[in-house]
Amino acid sequence: MKYAFYPGCVAQGACPELYVATLEICSILGIELDTEVMKGASCTGSGILQEKNERLGDTLNARTFAMAENSGMPMMTICSTCQGVMSQANSRLNEDSDYLKQVNEDISPEGLTYSGTADPRHLLWILLEDIGIDKIKSLVKVPLDGMKIAPFYGCYIVRPSKVLGFDDHPDRQQALEELISAVGAEVVDFPGKTLCCGFPITTINETASMKMVARHTTDAQQLGADAMVTPCPLCHLNLDGFQPKAAQMNAVEINMPILHLPQMIGLALGVDPKILRINKHIMSTKKLLSKVTLTP
Amino acid sequence: MSEHDVLIIGAGLAGMRAALSAKENGVDVAIVSKVHPVRSHSNAAQGGINAALTDRGDDWKDHAFDTIKGSDYLGDQDAIEVMCREAGDEIIQMEHMGVIFNRDESGNLGTRAFGGQRQARTFFVADFTGQALLHVLFEQIIKSDVRVYEEWFALSLIIEEGKCCGAVLMDIASGVIEVVKAKSVILATGGLGRVFEPSTNALICTGDGIAMAYKAGAALMDMEMVQYHPTTLAGSGVLISEGARGEGAHLLNSEGERFMERYAPNMMELASRDVVSRSEQQEIDAGRGVNGTVFLDCRHLGEQIIKERLTQIAEIARDFANVDIYSEPIPIRPGMHYQMGGVKTDVNGLTTVPGLYAAGEAACVSVHGGNRLGANSLLDTLVFGRRSGEHASDFSKNISHTEISGKYAELETNRIQNFLSNDVSAGLFGSMRQDMGSIMNKHLAVYRDKKGMEEALKQIKSLKEDYFKIGVHDKSKTFNTNLLFTLELGGMIDCAEAICISALEREESRGAHTRTDFPDRDDENWLKHILVKQTSEGPITEEAPVKITNWEPQIRSY
Amino acid sequence: MPLPITLNVKRFNPDSDQDSYIQEYQLDVAESDTVLDSLIHIREEIDGTLTFRCSCRSAICGSCAMRIDGKAGLACNTKISDLVSGDKKSITVEPAGNMPVIKDLVVEFEVFWKKIRQVSPWLKHFAMPPKGEHIVPNENMLHLAGVMNCIMCGACVSDCTSLEVNSEFIGPAALAKSYRFLADPRDEANENRLIELSQPGGIWDCTRCMQCVEVCPKEVDPMGRIMSSKEMAIEMGITANTGARHANVFASSVHHSGWLDELKLPVLTHGIFNFKEMFKLAFLGLRAFKVGKVPPVIHKKRPNVTKIRQIFEKVGHK
Repeated sequence: MKYAFYPGCVAQGACPELYVATLEICSILGIELDTEVMKGASCTGSGILQEKNERLGDTLNARTFAMAENSGMPMMTICSTCQGVMSQANSRLNEDSDYLKQVNEDISPEGLTYSGTADPRHLLWILLEDIGIDKIKSLVKVPLDGMKIAPFYGCYIVRPSKVLGFDDHPDRQQALEELISAVGAEVVDFPGKTLCCGFPITTINETASMKMVARHTTDAQQLGADAMVTPCPLCHLNLDGFQPKAAQMNAVEINMPILHLPQMIGLALGVDPKILRINKHIMSTKKLLSKVTLTP
Repeated sequence: MSEHDVLIIGAGLAGMRAALSAKENGVDVAIVSKVHPVRSHSNAAQGGINAALTDRGDDWKDHAFDTIKGSDYLGDQDAIEVMCREAGDEIIQMEHMGVIFNRDESGNLGTRAFGGQRQARTFFVADFTGQALLHVLFEQIIKSDVRVYEEWFALSLIIEEGKCCGAVLMDIASGVIEVVKAKSVILATGGLGRVFEPSTNALICTGDGIAMAYKAGAALMDMEMVQYHPTTLAGSGVLISEGARGEGAHLLNSEGERFMERYAPNMMELASRDVVSRSEQQEIDAGRGVNGTVFLDCRHLGEQIIKERLTQIAEIARDFANVDIYSEPIPIRPGMHYQMGGVKTDVNGLTTVPGLYAAGEAACVSVHGGNRLGANSLLDTLVFGRRSGEHASDFSKNISHTEISGKYAELETNRIQNFLSNDVSAGLFGSMRQDMGSIMNKHLAVYRDKKGMEEALKQIKSLKEDYFKIGVHDKSKTFNTNLLFTLELGGMIDCAEAICISALEREESRGAHTRTDFPDRDDENWLKHILVKQTSEGPITEEAPVKITNWEPQIRSY
Repeated sequence: MPLPITLNVKRFNPDSDQDSYIQEYQLDVAESDTVLDSLIHIREEIDGTLTFRCSCRSAICGSCAMRIDGKAGLACNTKISDLVSGDKKSITVEPAGNMPVIKDLVVEFEVFWKKIRQVSPWLKHFAMPPKGEHIVPNENMLHLAGVMNCIMCGACVSDCTSLEVNSEFIGPAALAKSYRFLADPRDEANENRLIELSQPGGIWDCTRCMQCVEVCPKEVDPMGRIMSSKEMAIEMGITANTGARHANVFASSVHHSGWLDELKLPVLTHGIFNFKEMFKLAFLGLRAFKVGKVPPVIHKKRPNVTKIRQIFEKVGHK
C-alpha cells in the first residue's frame, strides 16, 4: 500500500531527525511513501492559525484533503498535532454539508473539490492497523530488553475522542504502549501520558509550560523510565529542547531522553542510531543507548 | 448576631427574584441556601414559561381562564388575575436581563403550545428554560452583590410576639449554628417531592420551608393537591418535559393507540396534567400498558425539531432510559412532580404569620388550585417572588428589629446533639425515608380512597415517633450531610402528615385529588380551600373560601 | 443480573484524618446503575459518613462532578456498566481536581466561582432597553444555547492542564461563560471584555489540550469558545500581547510560504527589540546548533504558494 506522505512543518524544520527516521523504518516495514504528491500542501495551521481564523484553517485543510483524494492514496501524518488538527477540520467539513459546499467554493479556483473521503492517519495508527503488531515483532532485530520507556501521546492525538476514530478503533488509545511492548521494552505507565506538554503556551507563558515539562519528565523519571517516546515533534521540542530550561526554572534535576516514535521502532529494527539521528537531540541519549547491545 | 432587613430562605427562581426586587427597593437583603443557588431545582424545569403578550393579540384574561379551568376552579381568581396580568412584563424583564429565549422568524420572542392552554403562549429556551432563567438570575445576583449564605441550612424560624423575626441557621461546612435577625423572612424553599418515592424532584426538595412554617404556626393550604406528571421515567422518576407534547409528541398504549382520544378528544395530549395522568393510569390498570408504563412517541417530529427544541429530552432518554428518541418511543408513566399546596399566602406573599412571607412552590396563593398547568410554575415563581420581595422590603422599612434571646440557638444545638448521640445501630435515615416515600406513593397517588389514606396517616404517625431515635453515623462538624439529611427528614414527615390529613378531609374529587370513594366534583360542599395548622393539641383543619371574581365554576372537560 | 463491583473511594475527613486514603466498598449493583446510585446507596444504607454533593440525579444541577477512573464527569450520568468489563471490576472515585478538598468528595468550589465573577458574567447593555423585547435572530439564541447549556459542574476546571500549573488562568468554565456574552448581540461590552480577556491569565493562557472538551457532560466545548474568543479579539485589533502576535505571525508565515518558518516565528512574536527574549532565543538556538538541530536558514516556499495566498485573500477576513 502506498501512502501520500504529509510530514508537517516541524519534521522539515526543527526536527529533521523525525523525517529521516520515518523514511528509514517505512522502507524496512514495507510502508511505501510518496514524498512528492503532498509537497504543495500547506501547513495544517497547528491550532494556531485556527486561533486567528478557523474557517481559513478548514479551507487550507480541505485543500490538502482534496489533493490527497486526487492522489488516490491514503494520507500519512507523523505529527500528533497535524493529525488532530486535520481530524477536527475533517469532522467539521463532514458534519455540515452546507459548510463543505462553502469551503469547496473557495478551493475550486485551483480546480480542487473535497468530497469528504480523506482519512489522514498517523504513522502510529498505521503501524497498529495496517502493519500490525505481529509483523513488527517479527522484524525486530534488536529487542529493547532492559529499556524502560514511558509513552507520551500529545493532546491532539487523544482528544477530542469523537473525531479520532476511537469508536471504530479503540486500540488507538493504547497504541504507544503496544508498540513499546512489541519492540521488547518495558512500558512505564504514568498518569501524565495523555496530558499536555505545554508547547502551545511556551511563548506565551513560559513558566506554566516549563512546569508541565518538569512535571511529566520527573514523574516518568521517578517511575524508573529510561526514556520517553512521543509521536509528536512539538511535544518533542518542548520535552527535549526545553528540558534544561524546565529543570532550571523548577529547581529539579532532569535527565530524560525523548525519542521520536520512528526512532524507537528503528532502533529495534536494527537501524544504526546515527542514521536515526538519535544523537541530534538536546538531551543526550548516550546512556540510553548503552542499555542495549545495538549490533544485531 | 447578624441582622438583615429581609432574609430569604431558598435561592431558586422565587428566592433570587425576591432578592433582586428587595435589593432594588433599597433594603439590606440576604439569601440562605443549603446548596449553591445554581444547584436549585428550578434548574430542572424544562418546557417553558407562560405569558399573554398583548402586543401579540393575546389577552391575559384568556390565560387567566385557562389557568382557572386548569385549577379545577380551586384557584383564587384574584391571585390568578394578578399573575396573568403581570406575566407579560415579567417575561420582558427576563429578556432584558439576558435570557436567551427562542425567537420566531422576525426575531421576536417565540412560543410553543403547552398543556391546558388554548393558545400558544409558552415562551421557552430549547428545553431547559428553568436552567436558562435560573442562571441569568444568578448572574444578576452577582451583579447586584447580594449576600448569599451559601450552603447554610435553615433549622427553624424565630417567632417572637407573634411575629417572625429571624431564623436559626447552620453552616453546613463547619457545623456552626447562628441566629440571624431579620425584619421579615421569605420562604422560597421549593417543593416537597422527596416525600414521595419515586419523584421527579431533586434530592434537595424536602419541603424544608413548608415544614418550618407549619412548626411556626403558619397555615398550610391545599396540601392534598399533589401533581403527578404524566411523563416520567419508570424507576428513577426522572422527568420528560411536557415540551415534547407541546412540539407534537403522541402518547401511545401497548396497542399503539393514541388513547387520549377517549379521554380528552379536543386537547388530546395537551389536556391538563391531572387528566392525562389519570388517563394513563387507567390504560395501565386496564392492561394496555407494558411493565407499568405507556409510551411517549417523538419519532414523527423529525430531526430538526428535536435538535433545536428537545435536545435535553434526547439526552435524558439516552442517558437514563437507553432510548434513542429518533427511532424508539420512550416508556413513561405518571410520577409525583409538584405540590400545588403549600404555605398559605395572600397576593403579596404574606403568610398567616406577620413578618413571614412565602413564594414559589413552597407557597399556595393559590394560583394553581387543584392542578397546575405546565409552564405556569416558572411564572408563579417570578411574579410572586418579585411581589413578596417588594412587600417584605416595604414592611421592613417601617419596623425595627425584635430582640431575640439566646435560647433559640441553644434549642437547636440540643436537638442536634440528641441526634448525634443516638445509638448508631438504630439504622440510618435512608430506610425511613424510603418507607415514607413508598407509603405516600401507594396511598396518595393518582387514585385515592379513605382506607388507603387512613393507613398512610397511621404509618406516618408511627414513623414520627421512631424518627427521634434515628442513628447518625457521622459525628463530625465538617460538612455533615448525614446529620443534614436526618434533620430534613423530620420536616418531610410533618409535610407527609399534613398531606394525609388534608386529603382525608376533602370528600370529593377535584383536580389532582381523585378519590374512588368520592369520584365526583362537589362544588356545593367543597368549593373551598382546606387549611392545616399545627397547634399544641396537634394538627387541626380549617377552611378558607375560594376567591371568585369573573368566572363561575363550570364542568371541566378537554 | 446483579453486577459485583468494588468502588474505591478517596476519603478525607479534616476532623479526624491527617491524610486522604482509599476506602473500598464491595457492592452488588444493577446493570443500569450509575456511579451516583452506588454512592447514594452507600451513604443511605452502609456508611452514613460518606460525603458528596448531589441533587437532581439527571445531569442538570451540576452538583455531582468528580473524578471517576481519573477522568472528571458527573456521577449521575456515568453508568457503571460502561466502566467495568472483563477483568476490570473496580472503579476509582476521587474528588474533582484543581480545587482544595473539604471532605471526601466535596471540594471548595469558591475557587471556581471566583473565576466566574472575574469575567463580569452578566449582560451589559448600556442603551435604554426597548419597550418590548430586543429583536434578535433565532440563530443567535440557538448558538448561545450551546454555551448556556453549561451547568457549572466544574468538570472542565477539574481536569484543565493549564490550571494545574497556573492558578492565575481564568479557566475553561469562566471563559466559556464570557464567550456567552461576547456572542450575544444584546451585549455591548465586547471590546472591554476582550481587552480584559487578553490579559495574562486570560484566553491566551489556554494550552489547547482539549481536556475540557473531552470531559464536559453537556457538550459546551469550552476550548472551542476560547478559540472563538481569540478570533474575535484579533479581529478587533486587540493584538498587543504575545498570544495574538504569535497567531498573527504564524498566519503571515503560512501566507508567505505555505508553511511555518520556525526561525522567524519566535523572533517576530516577541519583537526583535525585545532584547531579553532575543537573548534567551539565541541561547536556545546555540544549544540546538551544537547538536545539529536547526531549521533550514533558507526557508523555501511551497510550490503553488500563490494558490495558498489566494485562499488567504478570499477567506482571510471571514
